[in-house]
Amino acid sequence: MSQIVRPPDDASVAPPSTSGRPSLGRVFLAATRSEFTKLRTVRSTVWALIFTVVTIVGIGPLLTALELSRWDKRTATEINGFDALLYSFAGINLAQLSIGVLGVLMMTSEYGAGAIKLTFGATPQRGLVLGAKVVTFSVVVAVVTFFSCLSAFLITQALLAPKHVGLSISDAGVFRAVLGGAVHLVLIGAIAVCVGAALRRTAGAVAVLFAVLLVIPGLVALLPSPWNNTITQYLPSSAGVAMSAVVQFPNLLSPAGGFFVLCGYTALLLLLAAVMLRRRDA
Amino acid sequence: MIEAERVSKRYGSTLAVDDLSFTVSDGQVTGFLGPNGSGKSTTMRMIVGLDAPSSGHITVGGRNYAELRFPLHEVGALLDANAAHPGRTARNHLLWLADSNMIARARVDEVLGRVGLSDVAHRRTGDFSLGMGQRLGIAAALLGDPGTLIFDEPINGLDPEGILWVRQLLRSLAQEGRTVLVSSHLMGEMALTADHLIVIGRGRLLASGSVAEFIERSSGHHTHAQTPDAAALSTLLQQKGATVSADGAQGLSITGMESRDVGITAAAAGLTLYELSTQRASLEEAFMELTREHADFRASAGVTGGAG
Repeated sequence: MSQIVRPPDDASVAPPSTSGRPSLGRVFLAATRSEFTKLRTVRSTVWALIFTVVTIVGIGPLLTALELSRWDKRTATEINGFDALLYSFAGINLAQLSIGVLGVLMMTSEYGAGAIKLTFGATPQRGLVLGAKVVTFSVVVAVVTFFSCLSAFLITQALLAPKHVGLSISDAGVFRAVLGGAVHLVLIGAIAVCVGAALRRTAGAVAVLFAVLLVIPGLVALLPSPWNNTITQYLPSSAGVAMSAVVQFPNLLSPAGGFFVLCGYTALLLLLAAVMLRRRDA
Repeated sequence: MIEAERVSKRYGSTLAVDDLSFTVSDGQVTGFLGPNGSGKSTTMRMIVGLDAPSSGHITVGGRNYAELRFPLHEVGALLDANAAHPGRTARNHLLWLADSNMIARARVDEVLGRVGLSDVAHRRTGDFSLGMGQRLGIAAALLGDPGTLIFDEPINGLDPEGILWVRQLLRSLAQEGRTVLVSSHLMGEMALTADHLIVIGRGRLLASGSVAEFIERSSGHHTHAQTPDAAALSTLLQQKGATVSADGAQGLSITGMESRDVGITAAAAGLTLYELSTQRASLEEAFMELTREHADFRASAGVTGGAG
């Protein structure tokens, strides 16, 4: 084998590890950095995240304000049963959609532009690429949605303070519920990345995701009782909502139950997407 | 060094690459030629691990591409000039690529300068012309300063100045000792750029050799003679082992013998020659000849020529 002889090049491009092969950990770390650079350099990310923040922080307080404007017409029973947390997190349902679309685009925008060839060419360890995308996106979504949910909660409770029906962040289960709202969106985001990886097309992946989040819950509700309630609680959106509840609703799982169900879906889809990415030609 | 060993690739019922073996050596430009749809791109995708061969294997520097970690330091590839998110700037496009292989970010500005895109580094690639896209793709391939470079149709969409630039770039990369594989369906372009040629048609290897050998071997290479004694000269030449066919009333088309020997033979027999010339097929003709039966798409009337 002939030795390649060429003039010494810029030291900046020398392979990072001089002692043999880089570890898979380093490959993963680099892929994560790369994915973060990708995520922050396209406008769709900024718009989707702005939309997410606005829906979470805006809708809860807005609906609360509407409710308060008609407060005098409420009966004592209605006021007693008022769920201050439900109103705080009213925007999460809609935020699922912007997070979902952005998650799908993490994969499908690369297939659409053909950049996936560059991505897998640069990192042939495709499972690690999927992992890096999911981790990067999850961290970004976690930070953005946690502070959004916290803001929505605080604003809503401030609005409710004069009526003495609000909750404090230090009340039992409240902080967990705020965290649960964020985790709900993180897991939906991770699921969306996997759906994008499996289907490769934006339109198809978004359609499937919206069907699961919006259409199927509506159809299942029409099934004869008790099937409708039994199935509904295991749907991803219901499992997610269960995480941000303090008072357990009759048709929902417990917060922990919701968390495990949604984690189960995520793990299953991650596995499926990883297998498909590795098996298929890019 | 790239080595393909009995590689086949099947998509459904289509055999895109059929039992293909070749070697691409260091320090020279290897042209990868074939008509559209002949399997060039598929082969290149298999080299960089994007598609898996149905059988056989391809290695780069003795290793399977899929096993490489941070491969951009070893192999750079331009497979698709449009393979960039249209909303991202050229610089950001190269930044994520650099990050993925832990290449210093300073290198990004360096390669942008080398391909002449420094002025548009902050423009979104969606606004780029095809030529600018090609330059960005070449910059991406050069990013990790790899010893092996693979370019799929790099001159598509370039203006004459750009074509000249690519030609010089490929030559200088090879002179630095790198392995350079460049595909094209333009034989003429390859004649100017490549040292070695690999020609495929319908996924099969048709020829492999130096550019000079390639011209030599092609059937269009022959000696033409004009003589009033065509029949006598023809018999003499055939006795000496040449293959001769009539070309007009006084013309002979001779293969298997150099024109020098034809002249000596004629002079020794006292035969008059009006004209004696070596006919070299152009590379383009040689290529057409070689791939005629293997072109996937062609205008049937145009080739046979008898329809009008």
